[in-house]
Amino acid sequence: MKRLLHSLVFLILSSPAGLVLAEVKMPDGIIKLDGSNAPVLQLDDVDGNTYNISQSRGKWVFVHFWAAWCGPCRREMPTVQRMTEQLADSPIDIVLVNTAETDDEVFNFLGVVAPELSTLMDRDGLVTERWQPRGLPASFFVNPEGKLEYIALGGREWDKPQYLNFIKALINAKN
Amino acid sequence: MGKIFTLQHYLIVLIACIVSVYLHSSIVYAAKDENRYKIENQFVKFGLYPRTPEQMAAFYEGRGFPRQAIEATKQHCFITVGMRNISKTKIWLDLSRWRIYDKQGDIARTSRDQWKQKWQQRNVSLASQATFNWTLLPETRDLHPDEPVGGNITLQPTDHPFTIEAVFATGEDQKGKPLVIKIDNIRCLKNGDTAP
Repeated sequence: MKRLLHSLVFLILSSPAGLVLAEVKMPDGIIKLDGSNAPVLQLDDVDGNTYNISQSRGKWVFVHFWAAWCGPCRREMPTVQRMTEQLADSPIDIVLVNTAETDDEVFNFLGVVAPELSTLMDRDGLVTERWQPRGLPASFFVNPEGKLEYIALGGREWDKPQYLNFIKALINAKN
Repeated sequence: MGKIFTLQHYLIVLIACIVSVYLHSSIVYAAKDENRYKIENQFVKFGLYPRTPEQMAAFYEGRGFPRQAIEATKQHCFITVGMRNISKTKIWLDLSRWRIYDKQGDIARTSRDQWKQKWQQRNVSLASQATFNWTLLPETRDLHPDEPVGGNITLQPTDHPFTIEAVFATGEDQKGKPLVIKIDNIRCLKNGDTAP
């Protein structure tokens, strides 16, 4: 009976659902979404390279909407860069989407504040609209199956241990 | 032993009752400081920051808005609203439940949809429309614990001091005690006024 119970626990924990259950506690300001399909996201970056979110299937994707005029975005961006550095070898795609600004506005801001980051350009703002963020900045976590899993409420310091540990736990749980 | 309850005891009880009622009241009033109006209670941090027409024009001009759009913004009184839910429950922002009035009556607020019509009539680009929309306070929003929200509301200009009475539903099902924030003596700023 005891062996059966152990086997059952092992089976539950080793299943995808069990691994999700075993995730670390969600940090402040992160809420679970309904798991619906992530909206289409296909945009060019400032160099004209096209990214389509479907090419990240099988990996977690951190999708971050921002604008240079937005105060919380400006404060948050250096922490996104440091987070990106910390996760450099991890199987997660970090995708920035600038909302409705020009190349000059983006260069003038990112070049100074987070020069290692590149961003997609949502030039008319319609992709951002489709994703329905709750404001700017907004960060979504899309799971390896392409579903919306979590959203961050407003800006935060992404390089703090509670967020880095959360992201690492997500990656480990799904791989 | 003498009298058990003296006048002092009654006074202490009375003061305690008043303090208790105050602490549990859902109506809160703001403190004004250099054209900023700020509130912090057990539910929200809430602030109003009136802007001058020049301040707003400079912001939008700097982002490439066309002249016809800038002129439209100058016809409005912009107030930036900043708010954070610091309670443990949901707070529901719904601008249709805000009453804005001066001694002459209600003051019209230009909604997101009304702005969209203005921009379409003026052939304003989608990019500028998107930027403008993101600078507006959402018409509705369920604010999770610790969630911030911010943006502008745009009003018909008035020379008179006015009041904003903002009513928020509370609780997961919106059935909690409504939160009312009432702020008097707000002014639309003119160019040259001290803007926050």
